[in-house]
Amino acid sequence: MRIEISGLTKTFRGRVAALDGLDLVIPTGMFGLLGANGAGKTTLMRILAGLMRPTKGRVTVGGHDIGTGAGRTAVQRTLGYLPQDLGVYPDLTARQFLDYVALLKGMDERTARRRRVAELLEVVALTENADRRLRGFSGGMRQRVGIAQALLADPQLLIVDEPTAGLDPEERIRFRTLLSQFAGRRTVLLSTHIVDDIAQTCREAAVLAKGRLIFRGTVDELTRRAEGQVWSVVTGGPAPPEGTVVSALPHETGMRYRIVAPTRPNPQAQPLEPSLEDGYIALTGAAQTTSRSSSSGATRPG
Amino acid sequence: MRTFAATLRYEFRMQVRKRSVWLVPALTVLLVLLIGGSLLRDLFDAAEGQTVAKAAMIQLGLQLSALLPIGYGCLLADRLIRDDRLRVAPVLDATPARPGVRLLGKYLGTAVATALPIVAIYAALAVAYAVHWGQPAALGWALASFGLMMVPGLLFVAAFALAVPLTMPAPLFRVLFVGYWIWGNLVPPDMMPTLTGSVIQPVGGYPVNALLDHYGMDGDLQLAGPVPGATLNFLRPEPTALAGWLSIAILLALAAAALAGGQALRTRRTR
Repeated sequence: MRIEISGLTKTFRGRVAALDGLDLVIPTGMFGLLGANGAGKTTLMRILAGLMRPTKGRVTVGGHDIGTGAGRTAVQRTLGYLPQDLGVYPDLTARQFLDYVALLKGMDERTARRRRVAELLEVVALTENADRRLRGFSGGMRQRVGIAQALLADPQLLIVDEPTAGLDPEERIRFRTLLSQFAGRRTVLLSTHIVDDIAQTCREAAVLAKGRLIFRGTVDELTRRAEGQVWSVVTGGPAPPEGTVVSALPHETGMRYRIVAPTRPNPQAQPLEPSLEDGYIALTGAAQTTSRSSSSGATRPG
Repeated sequence: MRTFAATLRYEFRMQVRKRSVWLVPALTVLLVLLIGGSLLRDLFDAAEGQTVAKAAMIQLGLQLSALLPIGYGCLLADRLIRDDRLRVAPVLDATPARPGVRLLGKYLGTAVATALPIVAIYAALAVAYAVHWGQPAALGWALASFGLMMVPGLLFVAAFALAVPLTMPAPLFRVLFVGYWIWGNLVPPDMMPTLTGSVIQPVGGYPVNALLDHYGMDGDLQLAGPVPGATLNFLRPEPTALAGWLSIAILLALAAAALAGGQALRTRRTR
């Protein structure tokens, strides 16, 4: 299910532009959406899920224009949505909550619906807790209920917004595996600021910053953005001022810093192979520099 | 239809399980009895003269509908806004189920669940009366009184209790609602400008006088109609049958308008 976004703008209260003229095509398969807090990822997710109308622009999902009521409804029939900060009804059990959502998704036939709910409870390893009230569930268990409800109607488009935030490492791995297994010939749009989730599951990704698209390509291409820009520096003092510190680990002679910088930050710095996170840092650092140059009216050297 | 049925069923289930839904009306009745209310005396004491089933059931309904809707409205005040508070709204809004139909299911599911204890109290007293006095007709009169006098008022209260908290914090709504209830239903019209005794009164004065033809044990209980010296008498036509049905229709129309307004407000905010 292909998503085509053209000139998408969303402004709030006429002033704050959460999305600003976004053009993006999302193909079938796992697709990652990266960006800092406030980049516009959640706003984009909510528009694609039909929860919000664009201020300007056009979005088609599987050929349906979500700017129309009929188009939105058509998309929602084939949609699974796991929002950021998932909420549930605490007084329902997991089974009841899934049954309710299944009914709202149009799964009328009782036997098939119950079978599907039971299947998904098994998939997310919640069968033993299926008849416990949701108020007693941990954050990780609730997220599993969340992914189960998103998969209920066997959606062709699955939108997951920050699904692994707050999960322990084991649950994160389980989650990612589940999403990857589900993708296949479907479209899974994974929005996150946890770069490793993208690295482990997606071939292609886009990066948003301040409502604009600053990258669209493969995960390898994003990683290569940091080629020749990743350094290991060991110092007994503070980190070198140049570049962005990606990690800092205690070392016998001080601290070992992993730094992304366009040039060697100090004479002892050793080059490293870039990771996806490095590529993201290199990209967003470059985007900030470009933005500052544009706003200061700097001209190119002649 | 399936969206409506599903929402009604689950909203009913969630609301009817709440302890407060049962405790609040039970405690209200207990309080009334403890402070010397005449509820039981009127029904079971021959000296009070309540041996006419029709009059007894209508009087019982009037006493219950004077106070119990206060708790009823307060219990419903957070039912619509809680979907946003619990952050479950995005999951529900992302389904193809039409929001207006879901709202209708939520409205009726929670309204019926919250009314169940009121129905239970009324029914229990009606059955006790019927058995005590050997008057099974009391059950029919209880049903008629409930349907004509209490149901429109409860639906009216439920709609506003769901919709108005979209515009203000629920605790503030509860305070204002109690004030409105006393002002709009219990304060005599010749004391100050009030909606008491008007066609917009949810206590059900017009159905009682005009449709059930009940004017109290002594025939002088005027719950509807113009009051000498009162303002807003244009809202108090003579209690004819037409006026009785008009009062019910107005309450239901206002309830529908409140729900439609609430839905429009919610849609505007989320889009």
